[in-house]
Amino acid sequence: MQHKLLDLILILPAAALIFSIFTDVLWMSYLQLAVSVLVFLTVGAVALSFNSITVFLGGFFFIDYINLVILITVSTLELFVAFYSFGYVRSEIAGGVSKRKFKFYYFWKNLFIFSMMVSILSNNLGIYWTGLEATTLATALLVSFNRTKESFEATWKYVIMCSVGIAIGLFAIVILYFTTFQVYGESMRSLSFINIMQAGAKLDKNFLILSFILALVGFGTKVGFAPMHNWLPDAHSQGPSPVSALLSGVLLNTALLGILRFYQINGAAGIYYPRYFLIGFGFLTITVSAFSIIKQTDYKRLFAFSSMENMGIIALGFGIGGIAVIGSLLQIFFHALNKGLLFLSSGNVLAATHERRIDKIRNLSKNFPITGIVLLFGAMGISGMPPFAMFLGEIYIMTGIFRTDIWLGFLVFILLILVFIGLFGKVLKMYVGKANAGNEEEGGELKSGGADAAHKAVNEAALHPFIVYVPLIILLFSSFLLFYIPYPFLHIVKSAAAEFGGKLIF
Amino acid sequence: MIMEKIAELFIILILVSVVLNVSSPFIKFAIKLYSFQSLMLAFYILMGAVHFNSVNLYGSFVITIIFKVILIPYFLFKTLKKVKMDKEIDMYIGIPEAVVFAGSLTLLSNLIAQKIVKTGITFGSFVFTISLATFLIGAMLMITRKTLFSQIIGFLTIDNAIFLAANSITHGMPLLVEIGILFDLFVSILILSLLILNLRRNVAA
Repeated sequence: MQHKLLDLILILPAAALIFSIFTDVLWMSYLQLAVSVLVFLTVGAVALSFNSITVFLGGFFFIDYINLVILITVSTLELFVAFYSFGYVRSEIAGGVSKRKFKFYYFWKNLFIFSMMVSILSNNLGIYWTGLEATTLATALLVSFNRTKESFEATWKYVIMCSVGIAIGLFAIVILYFTTFQVYGESMRSLSFINIMQAGAKLDKNFLILSFILALVGFGTKVGFAPMHNWLPDAHSQGPSPVSALLSGVLLNTALLGILRFYQINGAAGIYYPRYFLIGFGFLTITVSAFSIIKQTDYKRLFAFSSMENMGIIALGFGIGGIAVIGSLLQIFFHALNKGLLFLSSGNVLAATHERRIDKIRNLSKNFPITGIVLLFGAMGISGMPPFAMFLGEIYIMTGIFRTDIWLGFLVFILLILVFIGLFGKVLKMYVGKANAGNEEEGGELKSGGADAAHKAVNEAALHPFIVYVPLIILLFSSFLLFYIPYPFLHIVKSAAAEFGGKLIF
Repeated sequence: MIMEKIAELFIILILVSVVLNVSSPFIKFAIKLYSFQSLMLAFYILMGAVHFNSVNLYGSFVITIIFKVILIPYFLFKTLKKVKMDKEIDMYIGIPEAVVFAGSLTLLSNLIAQKIVKTGITFGSFVFTISLATFLIGAMLMITRKTLFSQIIGFLTIDNAIFLAANSITHGMPLLVEIGILFDLFVSILILSLLILNLRRNVAA
């Protein structure tokens, strides 16, 4: 029973992928809803009945507590994004975008989801690598979906940087294979994660640490760690909003999973100091993104930098260990939801106004009552304010950091305050700010200049109801999760944390 | 013994082709060099396959020939024909400096390889030196040249270096994984070519 369900998680996106080639976009959007709901239900059923590591599909795939957390995250966000896409496709087509352009939207999106599922569930590190590279390729044409010069440049940077980064990750896998080769010989077992964990202490320690560092730099490029991050804001801000939500919310976590696997292997071999690398990279990432957030002028880039900051916090939490790991795992889930709602609701503003600059968007409270309030509360939520779920994750991580080193905690705290000021201040201005004196319209609404006087009606009424209400539902869901986390999910998170925490003592 | 010498000749030719690449501004020549370099890599893998009599390495030889020697250069040539670009014009450092730099990178990788050998590595330090040098020079190509084609060549060089390391450290990765990796590489080259065409069109328009 369990096996069949697990197979279904991979089969469903693959089936949707094949259907999307032949089916018309509007029909496909109905089908996509069905598939996403089914995937969500399947993952839910797996999560409820899950009790131990299970291997399936000939040993190439497995599921444990850690990838279950990420799997739940992916399927939940994908459910919301499917509903949003339903409305998004319709309002874009109604807004004059040709149907032909959307022909391959669902194809690439399903390919993206499928390859992400493959790499999350893979037991074999080689297959993990293949899946991760496939996600880069599947999203490449989604990022350049608008076919503008900026989007092509962003895609170029994205594909080249991530491919090189992941190639370095391949080097890490090669070196790991070299060490496990001496234990298992030439077979698939030498790359199988479960078998590598069992070999544990028998592996050569020098090579393990070398492979961890290469993996951290390589896959870290795709996670968006600080020195290798400069593709991230461009790529995440250029794609269509549902794609941006998926890129920021779940793809970064998929890449982080690779680093965590190497981290676990090092832990199993009794090497504990890789955690200082995670702490260092995490802290650097938070610092760089905090200062970048303050001087951003484009709201989608602002949210992209905020993803970077959150990945930094998550990496920091995993590095600290103990209670912070629980925080990080919760943060993975909550951040995906919260970032999803921010990108989706800012996508509404973009779809209606075609304006990316923060200072051109004013007075959302009047023209976009629901989207505006979702954006405002979303910005509060993403910086860890109490009525939203991310507060919980961040408080665990901060507690862990303060317990370990009070000065580090103090620094991180100051950086988080900077992030809050940058994010919330900018979104607040978008929400209530008065339009600039120079180019005021009767509605007090933005105008990109006198040139295009025949601007379309810029308010929510023109949008499909789905894309207005989906972010609101995510917001309510996120707020609800702060007060009540379902027990099975909490159990999964705690067990996943135990897989890190049991071995790391500080 | 003689086989080892021949294998060493092949990997030396890989390094030579990379350094030649640094010293030439012509893109068509660079793609030809890449094809040649992959062919040498394939022959090196073949030597290993004959020596260890490993089916895995024979398979690896065949797919390397198919993807790296034939398909990828073919599509790159096709793209190059469409964009009508023949010479690298934008470089951060001149060719003589770049060649000297490539030489010093080779020396550096030799030093690193010697150090790792001391800590008890079993595979040949010679192959590791070449692989590391190829990796670093490929990265240098990517950094110092601005044209999109040269960046692709740099990326492919890095990839060849990793393949060389993978095939010299062990008897190659499992075949299934290797096919996946090469297929991904191939698709990424297709996508990058597509992007080059689109970027060109946008610049021209």
